[in-house]
Amino acid sequence: MIRVIIRRLLWFIPVFFVVTGLTFATMHALPGGPFDSDKTPPALIQQMEEVFGLNRPVQEQYFIWLSSVAQLKFGPSLAARGKPVESFLLPGLAVSVQLGLFAMLFALSVGMPAGIVAAMHRGSWRDRSATLIAIIGVSVPAIVLGPVLQWLFALRLGWFPVAQWASLSDGLIPYLSHIVLPAITLGAGLSAIIARLTRASMLQVLGEDYIRTAQAKGLSQRVVTVRHALRNALIPVVTYLGPLAAAVLTGSLVVEQIFAIPGMGRYFVTSISSRDYPMVMAVVVIYALIIVGVNLLVDILYTVIDPRIGHGN
Amino acid sequence: MRRNAPWYLLAVLLVALVAAGCATAPAPAAPGDAGAAAPAPAGDVVTMRLATVSEPSTLDPNLAEDYFSITPIEQMFLGLTNINNETSEIEPELAESWTISEDGTVWTFNLRQDVTWSDGNPVTAKDIEYSAKRAVMPETASPYAYVLYSIKNAAAINQTNIPTDTYDIDSLGVKAIDDYTVEFTLEAPAAYFESISSMWTLRPVPSWAIEQFGDAWTEPENIVVNGPYKLVEWRPGEKLIYEKNPGYIKADEVQIDRVEVSLITDQFTEVALYESGDLDVAGEGAASLPAEEVARILADPTLSAELHQGPRASTTYVGFTMTKAPFDDVLVRKAFSAAIDRETMVRDVVGSGVPATQFAPPGIFGAPDPEVGIGYDPEQAKAWLAEAGYPDGAGFPVVTYRYFANSLEEALAQALQAMWKETLNVDVQIEAQEFPVFLAGTNPDVPVEEMPEMWRLGWGADYPDENNWVYEVFHCTDSQNRPRAACTEADEKAKQASIETDPEVRKQLYRDVEQLMFGEEVRVAPYYHRGYTILAKPYVQRAYPTFAPVNWDTWRIEQ
Repeated sequence: MIRVIIRRLLWFIPVFFVVTGLTFATMHALPGGPFDSDKTPPALIQQMEEVFGLNRPVQEQYFIWLSSVAQLKFGPSLAARGKPVESFLLPGLAVSVQLGLFAMLFALSVGMPAGIVAAMHRGSWRDRSATLIAIIGVSVPAIVLGPVLQWLFALRLGWFPVAQWASLSDGLIPYLSHIVLPAITLGAGLSAIIARLTRASMLQVLGEDYIRTAQAKGLSQRVVTVRHALRNALIPVVTYLGPLAAAVLTGSLVVEQIFAIPGMGRYFVTSISSRDYPMVMAVVVIYALIIVGVNLLVDILYTVIDPRIGHGN
Repeated sequence: MRRNAPWYLLAVLLVALVAAGCATAPAPAAPGDAGAAAPAPAGDVVTMRLATVSEPSTLDPNLAEDYFSITPIEQMFLGLTNINNETSEIEPELAESWTISEDGTVWTFNLRQDVTWSDGNPVTAKDIEYSAKRAVMPETASPYAYVLYSIKNAAAINQTNIPTDTYDIDSLGVKAIDDYTVEFTLEAPAAYFESISSMWTLRPVPSWAIEQFGDAWTEPENIVVNGPYKLVEWRPGEKLIYEKNPGYIKADEVQIDRVEVSLITDQFTEVALYESGDLDVAGEGAASLPAEEVARILADPTLSAELHQGPRASTTYVGFTMTKAPFDDVLVRKAFSAAIDRETMVRDVVGSGVPATQFAPPGIFGAPDPEVGIGYDPEQAKAWLAEAGYPDGAGFPVVTYRYFANSLEEALAQALQAMWKETLNVDVQIEAQEFPVFLAGTNPDVPVEEMPEMWRLGWGADYPDENNWVYEVFHCTDSQNRPRAACTEADEKAKQASIETDPEVRKQLYRDVEQLMFGEEVRVAPYYHRGYTILAKPYVQRAYPTFAPVNWDTWRIEQ
């Protein structure tokens, strides 16, 4: 197990260079620069680029960037002059991770039971309605679901705040009440995917011989489902959940906009359109780290769910 | 049994989530109630809650260039002069009085002697000298240094090719004569320097704080201000909180103690928060609301009474590439301008603003009133196009109109395309690009064959004088001259007006320039002046300036 973890971590080194090198080259190849404006005279734009070292060769800029990253500095944002990009990304990431965890929790707590129930009662009304809801969940995007939830539960019923974020220091109740609607919006599509995956893989597992054996030796349906069927059915779900989790934990621009949430999802988009190179690079590094981290977690989870996987290595 | 532990854990988490959902259900009525009743009880801290669609890109007066930065800077740093929010007139602020030498090139400002920084230091003429020098130094890389080019040697110093060449910063035409007198020497007479003296780029900044903290001097824990408000907290991506500066010279006249500005990028969410009572003002952050929301607000009796609309000092236009056929023919440009139904555009597409036929909007010194230029006239448009050799659009090539991608611009582009088709029977391709790509692709140095025939651009005032419009945007050699116009009488007159000192003569010159550039030569086709659409609760008493920025210290919350 330890060897697997170390190997994974070592793999991050080439991944880091490929991802950052490609991003750096692509970003600088895009037309336009961070200081372009219809107001600023071109001579002045060139001067600003000179001051920020942007008119050096791209390779040289990349090495300068690498050496500052080696000191754990991601540089000043070019769009917000003088502020280090970490001062935006770290608080944003903290918020996105919290929201993402609640969204995942919602997705799992709705999606898994729905998938199990649908599989156990295959073809029944319960199966059909679960499938219908799952299809709706997948097809209704956050940009529609968010405002609908906002209108119904906040503006009409007044159960939850319309938008914005409250941190835990504002109190548990405000914290949770602000998180419910965005977490559902972010988690709805995910829960539908989980429900369908769980159903499909449960159906496959339920047809296996060992389930019939378990049933034949007189185990209760509950024990057969939970201990024998679900455990094996979970492997494809967990596999799929890994990369999804990375996306959910780093925030979603759409959900953040609708609910005015200070997450880091927006920086994926705004940093590119404003040509804020240091911000783009920091975002990419964080995303890569999370993907690698989550995949490692998934590998560890496999061995918990099915000990044979760990021994195989 | 131990193997089952993870499932029990999951079950506990699920129960916790459900419990959390139940527990919160009755509670959230609270924020709504609080907002609907009163933002702050009398005697308590008076708080105002605003929204912005973008965070400030800097709070450093010497570096600021955008609305989102200028607005907070206006609240924290005093200028030599101020633009009155009600009248748009220049009024004294730090400067009690000023004199101009007979030849119009030496401006001497006498400062108030009782103004202090929030750390107790006095605000002196040296702070202004330091600020002007800092803004112009090439190492500062200020995107707005160019507005100071009327000061002697400013352009030469600012355009020094560092690090290879050197400059003498003391040759800049600014000097603190004593602690409370500052003298500017200009390159040439410039009547508009009075407007420049109100600008954020020239506001005094605390040299000692900048030297101690560097770029971080505007962080809440380091910032030193001299205006009515001070930044006390900045939660990145979430909100900025300002509190009244107790050391401000007129602190006893400032009623609102605390201003919270939340970052809300979705304007529909902003209006929803306004309706739920979580915001006192909506629309301020982008100065306008989307057309769909304006339509809904106007249909609602309560909301429509809280809606404030009016013009802003900003103009949107269609640019023509004047060196590229068929737009090298002035008749074609005239026809395309006259075919734009400006009323319909403003009413049905934008939802705010006023139709424009000239470049500078009302409220700018020198802007002709009534407007000059070419208005919507479909018959005349057809006649001009026929005269250019394309009767009813026959034989007219397919041309391209390029714009930058956002929902309003897309709607405007489609409307323009339809209007040109309907009136002139010509086919225009519309092409959207991301903003930086768009700007790079329509720069004055782009080869003419790669240029679109027409493109979208606009201008917002830096200071309320025509010089900032016709001269700084369209002069054939001294501006970027994006339409690539050849020099004409219009450029001569614009130059002449910039050094003329008699206000009446200047006004007459600018009337001629506007008519020549947009009525005769049609370098571009201005079609609307942007407007503000702002929702404000009835208890908010404030001004709605044509020319930003606002002054929060003059606002009141009345219960």
